[in-house]
Amino acid sequence: MPFSLLDRAAVSRTLSQIAERPGDLADAYFERVEEVELAGGGRAPWIRVRREEGLAVRLVRGGRTWLASRDEISPAAFADAVRRVARALPSASYSEPRLPVAPWEGPPAASELADFPSAVARAVRDQRVAFPTDLTVRRHRRWVQAVAGPLVPEPEREEFYSVTAELPWGRYGALLPRLDGAAAAAVAGALVERFRGRGASPPEPFRGVLVLGPAAAAVLLHEAVAHSLEADVLAASGDPELAVGVRLGPETLSVLDDPGTAPEGVRRRTDDEGREVRRRWLLQDGQVLQPLADARWAMASEVLFPGAGRRGGRHVPPGPRSTHLELTPGELDDEELMAGAEGGLWAAEAERGALDPLSGVFRLDLPLARRIRGGGAADPVGPSRLTGRIADLLPAVAGIGATARAAGAGWCAKGGRKLPVWATCPALRLEGVEVAAWG
Amino acid sequence: MSRPERAEPGPALAATLRALRAGGFEEAEVYAKSGRSRRLELGPGGPVAGFAQERGWMVRASGARASFAASGSGEPEPGGPWPEPDGEPFRLPDPAAAEPWSAPEDLDAPLVGESEGMRLLESLGTALATELPGARLTSAALEDGAAEHALASSRGVEARWRGRLAALRVEAAAPAGRGKPPATAAIYLAEREARRFHPAALARRLADRLAVTAAGAEASLDRGELLLAPAVGARLLAGLLPLLVGPDATALVAELRDRRGRIASSELTVIDDGRLPGGALAAPCDGEGVPTRAVTLLEEGEHRQPLLAWHQARSAGTAAAGGARASGCSRRASWRDLPAPGPTHLYVRPRRGISAGSLLAGLARGYYLLDAAGAGRFDLPGDRFELPVCGFAVAGGRAVAPVSRALLCGGIGALLRGIQAVARDLAFLPLDGMIGAPSLLAGGLELRPTGG
Repeated sequence: MPFSLLDRAAVSRTLSQIAERPGDLADAYFERVEEVELAGGGRAPWIRVRREEGLAVRLVRGGRTWLASRDEISPAAFADAVRRVARALPSASYSEPRLPVAPWEGPPAASELADFPSAVARAVRDQRVAFPTDLTVRRHRRWVQAVAGPLVPEPEREEFYSVTAELPWGRYGALLPRLDGAAAAAVAGALVERFRGRGASPPEPFRGVLVLGPAAAAVLLHEAVAHSLEADVLAASGDPELAVGVRLGPETLSVLDDPGTAPEGVRRRTDDEGREVRRRWLLQDGQVLQPLADARWAMASEVLFPGAGRRGGRHVPPGPRSTHLELTPGELDDEELMAGAEGGLWAAEAERGALDPLSGVFRLDLPLARRIRGGGAADPVGPSRLTGRIADLLPAVAGIGATARAAGAGWCAKGGRKLPVWATCPALRLEGVEVAAWG
Repeated sequence: MSRPERAEPGPALAATLRALRAGGFEEAEVYAKSGRSRRLELGPGGPVAGFAQERGWMVRASGARASFAASGSGEPEPGGPWPEPDGEPFRLPDPAAAEPWSAPEDLDAPLVGESEGMRLLESLGTALATELPGARLTSAALEDGAAEHALASSRGVEARWRGRLAALRVEAAAPAGRGKPPATAAIYLAEREARRFHPAALARRLADRLAVTAAGAEASLDRGELLLAPAVGARLLAGLLPLLVGPDATALVAELRDRRGRIASSELTVIDDGRLPGGALAAPCDGEGVPTRAVTLLEEGEHRQPLLAWHQARSAGTAAAGGARASGCSRRASWRDLPAPGPTHLYVRPRRGISAGSLLAGLARGYYLLDAAGAGRFDLPGDRFELPVCGFAVAGGRAVAPVSRALLCGGIGALLRGIQAVARDLAFLPLDGMIGAPSLLAGGLELRPTGG
């Protein structure tokens, strides 16, 4: 752990010097990032490595925030950052705590990356099809140490993988907690589904039943529940506290965010502000219970709780974001989810979603779906888009699958700050929703 | 013409380069960037003032059989450690002769101050509320940065250059009437420094957009003459980049030639210029140390050449690329990113003496399209495009009714050949590089309802 020797107590003491008024929030954030990429398609260079580290110091006072960040971890860089956010005039000199950081370990290597494309190719062949898969595989590692006043949590470490494939019929991307046989099979399955559905015509616009597989349901919940219940998004149109108690969906719909049950490798005990994460019920029985909040939003509220502060990097302030969404399973199997939905659509995956926080208008882009015929998923249908307002969309949830599985992980780029998000979801049946061609 | 002045890249870069060459990497390049930026934000979470100091590097190295790339914060260590190279071998550019370069004076201007920047954002909000009562900023972010770049390669390229860039992103909303969601509008602009943003002018532009969106009727299918404001022209030009940039452009353009070999109206001249005077991204060389220059891509309707980086011109062969000369057009988004070819300041040449007002006054019946509401879709092989727009219906040279939820549609060839006049009011948008257009008078296109 690179930050195990940081003099965290001294950092905390220095922060207490700038948090000089009641209600001030001062914190420090130390970050180390490594990304190893193995690019496909014969592009040069084949292997690419990025290693970086730095720090940030933040002061929140009276609703205003000051942030100073550096691409360097050293006593002088820390003292300079403290001086830049401190409000004391004339500027004081601040102590320079010992900040020894463990050196990077040897030459970066990632042999597991090299094996994965061939494992995917074999899994594709096992399904008796063959097509070029221009795969790029990346390993992402991040070490984080937050110090928030007297709070000095243990450092956190994350490791996961991402894969992208450039196919003649579209682009595919996924996040994976590990690169094993199951991951190769899952990626191959998604690529083969895209291959088999290539050239399929988009659907005519219709209003009816849409059944979302676990991965697509996770994207929908990320946009329609998690984003819409982030304190800063709620504040764009009113007081975030007033959301608590509002009914957004049917009683069967319960959604929580729990970074502590995320896949091993990205599981967290504390957030990027050093606050303990919590099992946070966003929706319980269809009603809003605990919006997502970070320390900044929670400090002036008795209703909002911290623990969901995430940072896209040291150069930007933290914000409230989800980490790992869970949808409480229902009782329906796949057959029951598609019952009586003749002519509707079943979609395994969603490519992306978007939410306009002011209007509440929501969209979900589905690269490929299947027409529901005879109670099952039948012929493929080309790119389609689900649109609607959150207020109409969540009440349209008419059935929830019985089996939840880890699915729907992806990058979230709210405000240009790219973060990995994870989910454990069953399938979801929506009724009376509008779907039209996309692309 | 002269060789660019050799600029010592710094001891860390030089030592790293020496170590890489000693390690058997015949092709090696070390790039370093350091910078500082001030970021000011207004949003639901209150004002945020940030100050970032960035410092990082990237190494690309290739031996006879394999290559790698690595990047990191701070300064490179001559000894790495480097990853095991396993990419295809590559080569780097040779030093090239360049026109003399004088660094713009405003490179030395201090970054916008915290109070100064906050005042700019707050005055933008105040001016907006004055222009359009009820309108408000929902978020605003101003970033002003300065950076120094250094590069050295085993082929003898040595360069140092500086840059300044300020970016402003503003989102605003206004009530649209009972039962309707609020009208929203956004602008994203870039200049060399933050002091070039004028709150009053920006507030007027946002207010126009909001008023049109709130009150505008959905367009009905129509064909009249169209006056396209610079924001619309720039979006259209961005959609046409595959015709103008890269080795595939020549083949795409061939499909659009008429009997005389033209692809566009004689009013249309398109240039890319990496050292455009006053340009936000102006620099003496690109991200590989290759000298920048002005390249005419389209001249009075005739296609001259695509924009090509040195390796693209080399691999395509000069004849296959239509005799094209390469230029320094490889951009680095940051020290983390490999250089990639693309436009720097790519723009439609304005016509002196022609004002947008005079073109509007001459519009008997048609539309004045103020802004694009998104990126649009451009199907170059299918010869079709559509761009979501908003603006005004025009009769007798005067705006008579706002129009929103409209799609500007037509053929790619019809768009290029339908430009009837070009005004002088060139403006750039940060799209794929800085893309610029003046107001354009166009015919042969359609306006359709979005259906949304």
